[in-house]
Amino acid sequence: MIHFDQVSKRYASGHEALSQLSFEVASGEMAFVTGHSGAGKSTLLKLLGVIERPSRGVITLDGKNLGRIRRRGIPKLRQGIGMVFQDHRLLMERTVFANVELPLVIGGIARQQRAARVRMALQKVGLLAYERQLPDTLSAGEQQRVGIARAIVAQPALLIADEPTGNLDPQLAVEIMGLFAEFQEAGTTVLVASHDLPLIKRMKKRVIVLDHGRLVADLAAQEVL
Amino acid sequence: MNTPVEGTSAPGQPGANGPQDAPLRAVAGVGSPHRHGRRRRFANWCEHHRWSASASLRRLAARPLGSLLTIAVMGLALALPLAFFLLLGNVHKFGEALGQNQAISVFLQPELGTQQAQLLAVQLRARPEVAVVRLRTPQQGMDELAGMQGFSGALELLDHNPLPYVLQLQPRAGVNADGMARLITDVRAMHGVDLVQDAGTWRQRLDALLGVGNRVVLVLASLLALAALLVVGNTVRVDIAGRAEEIGVLLLIGANPAFVRRPHVYAGAWYGLFGGALASLLAAGIEWSLAVPVRQLSHAYAGKLQVQSLPLWVLLGVPVATAALGWLAARLVSAWQLRRAQ
Repeated sequence: MIHFDQVSKRYASGHEALSQLSFEVASGEMAFVTGHSGAGKSTLLKLLGVIERPSRGVITLDGKNLGRIRRRGIPKLRQGIGMVFQDHRLLMERTVFANVELPLVIGGIARQQRAARVRMALQKVGLLAYERQLPDTLSAGEQQRVGIARAIVAQPALLIADEPTGNLDPQLAVEIMGLFAEFQEAGTTVLVASHDLPLIKRMKKRVIVLDHGRLVADLAAQEVL
Repeated sequence: MNTPVEGTSAPGQPGANGPQDAPLRAVAGVGSPHRHGRRRRFANWCEHHRWSASASLRRLAARPLGSLLTIAVMGLALALPLAFFLLLGNVHKFGEALGQNQAISVFLQPELGTQQAQLLAVQLRARPEVAVVRLRTPQQGMDELAGMQGFSGALELLDHNPLPYVLQLQPRAGVNADGMARLITDVRAMHGVDLVQDAGTWRQRLDALLGVGNRVVLVLASLLALAALLVVGNTVRVDIAGRAEEIGVLLLIGANPAFVRRPHVYAGAWYGLFGGALASLLAAGIEWSLAVPVRQLSHAYAGKLQVQSLPLWVLLGVPVATAALGWLAARLVSAWQLRRAQ
């Protein structure tokens, strides 16, 4: 599903965030991308979301070359990717329900179907009772779960998460990762950037390790200690 | 930026599947694209338009002072050319009332009798530039004066009629300025002619002045329309800048620029519509305030003057045109802002 072939990313400042990175993630697979701060984890996810373009190399997602995708094609591509951010990026003026419903509105789903799907997603993250509340009345963990519900509501084939447990206590972090694992079991491809090694080890999934933008290890689930 | 989310799918609305029974795969299914027909997409597009229109209106109402100031600036800017348009229309009407045509009045010497006056009329009728010659007797002139306010008393004091015979020449259509000048020179040189009064020259000057006035109004209207466009554009720019984070989120989760832009474009159209409506109201107010003094002026000209109002199509057309202008300004600015955001 995801194919990185000799991908490099150099920013305008001259900083090379990724260097000749090559790996593949199969459809329905879950993988962690880890490394120290500045290793290139976030850049990798930005390239997948076409927030950034590669300087060299080829990234393909379901056979589509992301480097060549036109600007007008980006929204459609992003509609097929669920994104979870460390800082949630929720719209605080709107209810939990409205936040989760956004991708469906953007995707042109009929109103009646939207209501059912939003509740389904909220139920999955355990926040069905909070649908009328505003996000700032929720805890950090609950807000992150709203962000996850928003990411999965449009039934994306790919779910990417950038440090989704960065602001959460260990117990909540485990719960959130458990949710991602459930989505993977249901067939979604999941790619999570995290530097929380104990949590990654606990999940027993594939781990891609970056250091200064280079791939230094690609460990299969059974290799993770 | 809001989207048609809040309040549209209220909790409790029936869904396709009950959430309690839904399996996980239904939520996190792999590569299940949204399959819905064009009709449903169109219905959704219409829904978003409806929502954008009402949400942008609510947003305007949510900050009444700022919105009113923007609308007031637009209204005042647009009322100015409307007021000039009204003024020019009335000056034009005034000119028409004072001289309906390009007639030349030829005042004959007072000692000339009827036969000599008729002879001159025959001579003038023979000229190719002249279409009609009317002979007005001194008595007809006296009767006309007597009919005018304030003259009847004065005329009673006269022991004889001092008015001369007057020949009124109506030039043929298509006679140019040179032909008219030649005709007037020839008439002045005729024996028995005392004075030649050329209403046409006066009319030409007035028409030329009105032409300048029309052009000034056009330029002014264009400049002020541009100013209104900039006012709306800047308001929308500030609004978008204030919602940069929200717009960023929308773009990240797959909103296309048209989706993000739509509420802002509607906001621009609302500003334009209300600004134009205010301009029309102000113009109507100016017209109303001038009605009494112009009526008095009309009396002074024996009721020949009539106040010309702004046509209804102008009063109704201005808000529509300014709404389109506001839409255009917001469309341009939001497209530019979003390109930068992307």
